[in-house]
Amino acid sequence: MKNMMSRRAFVGASAFAATGLLAGCTTAEKPAGSAGSAPAAAEDEGGSASAVELQIFAANSLEKAMPEVEALYTERTGVTFADTQYKGSGDLVEQMRGGAPVDILITASSGTMDDASEAGLIDDSSRQDMFTNELVIVRGENADVTVNSLEDITATEGGIAIGEPGAVPAGKYANQALASVGLYSEPEGENGTYDASIADRVVVADKVGTAAQYVSTGDCTLGFVYTSDVYRYEGIEVAYTCPDDSHKPIVYPGAVATSSENAGAAADFLDFCMGDEDALAIWAEYGFELA
Amino acid sequence: MRWRISCASKRCHGTIECMYNTMRHTAYGQSGPSIPLGPLPLVEARLCAALLVALAALVFCMLATPAHAATGGSEPIEGSAVSDGAGFGINGFTRYQKGAERPVGTQDVGYRFPIAEGASFAVVCTPESVLVYVEPEAAEASGFDAADASDTEELRSLIEGLDEEASRGGALLAEADKPWVFTSEDTYREGAYCYRFFLAIDGRTYCAVEPAQLAPGETPSQAAEAQGLDLGAGALWCDSGALVSASEVALVDPPTMFEQVQTFLATVDMRPFWVSIKTSAVALVLTFALGLVAAWRTMGTSSRLKGLLDSVFTIPMVLPPTVCGFLLLLLFGRATPVGRWFIDHGIALVFTWPAAVISAVVVSFPLMYRTALGAFESLDPQMLDAARTLGWSERRIFTRLMMPIAWPSIAAGTVLAFARAMGEFGCTLFFAGNYAGITQTIPIAIYFEWMSGNTDVALFWVSVVILFSFCVILLINLYTARSQRYRARGGMPRRGLMGKHGAAATDVQGDMLEDSGGDALRIDRDALRELMGTSSDAVARAAGSGAQDGAHAGASEDASTDAPAQRPSHRNGGA
Repeated sequence: MKNMMSRRAFVGASAFAATGLLAGCTTAEKPAGSAGSAPAAAEDEGGSASAVELQIFAANSLEKAMPEVEALYTERTGVTFADTQYKGSGDLVEQMRGGAPVDILITASSGTMDDASEAGLIDDSSRQDMFTNELVIVRGENADVTVNSLEDITATEGGIAIGEPGAVPAGKYANQALASVGLYSEPEGENGTYDASIADRVVVADKVGTAAQYVSTGDCTLGFVYTSDVYRYEGIEVAYTCPDDSHKPIVYPGAVATSSENAGAAADFLDFCMGDEDALAIWAEYGFELA
Repeated sequence: MRWRISCASKRCHGTIECMYNTMRHTAYGQSGPSIPLGPLPLVEARLCAALLVALAALVFCMLATPAHAATGGSEPIEGSAVSDGAGFGINGFTRYQKGAERPVGTQDVGYRFPIAEGASFAVVCTPESVLVYVEPEAAEASGFDAADASDTEELRSLIEGLDEEASRGGALLAEADKPWVFTSEDTYREGAYCYRFFLAIDGRTYCAVEPAQLAPGETPSQAAEAQGLDLGAGALWCDSGALVSASEVALVDPPTMFEQVQTFLATVDMRPFWVSIKTSAVALVLTFALGLVAAWRTMGTSSRLKGLLDSVFTIPMVLPPTVCGFLLLLLFGRATPVGRWFIDHGIALVFTWPAAVISAVVVSFPLMYRTALGAFESLDPQMLDAARTLGWSERRIFTRLMMPIAWPSIAAGTVLAFARAMGEFGCTLFFAGNYAGITQTIPIAIYFEWMSGNTDVALFWVSVVILFSFCVILLINLYTARSQRYRARGGMPRRGLMGKHGAAATDVQGDMLEDSGGDALRIDRDALRELMGTSSDAVARAAGSGAQDGAHAGASEDASTDAPAQRPSHRNGGA
């Protein structure tokens, strides 16, 4: 009996300790949590008028710049943002197709936005080209590798990180650039094969950021990313800027989703992104050129 | 004959009693003389190991946070630099990588860069040169003299250093190998371009690139278009900042290592931890209940149906989690008619927290189910039948008999299921997505933080997971050590304890019967022995003939003779 009691006491004490730990940390979590979710805090202060929360799906390359613009917008208007999704543009469209609630979609290529448009996911009247970007070949900082033309990559060693062309527009542009010098079979940049000289060195990445990270960690020697990615990842630098005529123009279209319940607020935010001088300064800092 | 019948009934009675005993042993621990706990030193050793790991992880975290220069004294804050020799410095240095060819309000100024607030100098990197414009007032106030070669050299090295800090991997002024031009004129022409510094429009300032040839009444953009000139190519990037005297440069004490850790911990988003705990806890409760019920129900069905059910229940364990995620997405997503039907009927699960729970349940369920089923099936069916003869309901047999006896296995299955739910990645990512604070669990956070270049945050989460797992395992071991204690001290002689138990123990050890029938049969023999007051040989005979299906008992006895060596290891595995 005594042992039975002590055993129960043990279990009870454990449970109590666990609960206490949870409760204690939950209260402790608040400030830390609000640091991570500034919008949530602002909502509390902002008060009653604007309970609008926008869900943005943005191309992966916007991962560092967009939160700053969102924070600025929250500060100005009180409109808050749900956790913005930064993935490969193709993934974002698939996720929308899967039924994820979205207010604004910003992709890194016209093609992926066309897909969304064909699937009836976006309001075509709200569609606008937001940014342009450049395709660059990056190398690790101070890496001993030089690239003076696209053909030069055949003379290098080590992996070449390229986004998966179906989901990552940067990968598609990269393949188009490679196709312009005969290293990829399809000029469209999709469903082709790489030239034998680089085929076994191509490392496919699920996001453009992943390609940049592969180079940053040294897993790959070179990677095809956007100029703006160079600014948001540490440890990589531009080795070569792909000529504009080697690939289709890189534009970031943005649009309001048809399923949006805050279409008006969403359109306002897009206007803010494109028109507000402070927002423009943030884009400028992260290397996004307005279209 | 009469003897045999009474013996059988007595035996039956004894069996049930002993089942009670076993159950009480298992569920509450046996009261008895307390002996020094065997596992305790082991537990202490584990505790020490866990603490060591915790310490190591903390140190690791500290090292992982980028350490700034640890030299004593004050140093300029980020974006500031000072040249003590020249007597001036820079505050609020900002680099804008790209400009925009957009009118400011209604005013078309060509391709323009914003200028940092309060800035008094600007640097534009052109294709030909590096242009540095310093506002005359600021030059005067800070003591900078553009005509003095040592001053310009000093400013240049300050700017180059800050530009590198702010470059984030972009091209560097220091490596530009272009002539530096210092000017105090707010317009500068070079080639086809005209650079205009510190244009004040609507209370903000800009640096702008215009075509050098500008017809009257023509805006810069119109002119550039007419001339086929790309204004954006005229300026590669633009730096700006405030030139101040050395004494005005913003200084700060470099943060200590402790402060850095504090800052890191204060800024790191802790939500993945709570999402993980919440998700796996809820998933565990569901898995536990569903897994036990499924195992219980499956056990009683016909063999053909059982095979089918077993396959269905187990398949999520065999399938890659991504397949489960994909199927769930198809089932509940908008892309399929079934999913649309669900959504139309108010069940919109995709990319929500319940989806994360469902993912965790789906992948952890088979582990719970398999271990519970295995444990239930290894129970002696005779014992269950005996309980039925006493009129126990199936529910009572389940809760009062099967559960307590199978508990060690079930506990192990629960731990496995929890670990699986905690570590769930593929299915969750597919079905619930990566929404910070909602569905972003620690495994997902680790992947995305690393992919976003936040290696320190990813490392932090890795340490948290390792620590947390250690604590959980430690707790489980402590708990198991307690709940299994009866085995060490109870009547069952084990290797190493046999000597202490003396004659009675060796007596029972002699026929090894307890190993096949478990506690039930052994205690049954004790009861018989007590009842009949005979030697163990007689008991063996009585037990053999007393069993209704003598052949079966004999077979299990034979099988048991080889078992003892395996038993302890099996027990350890279960614990």
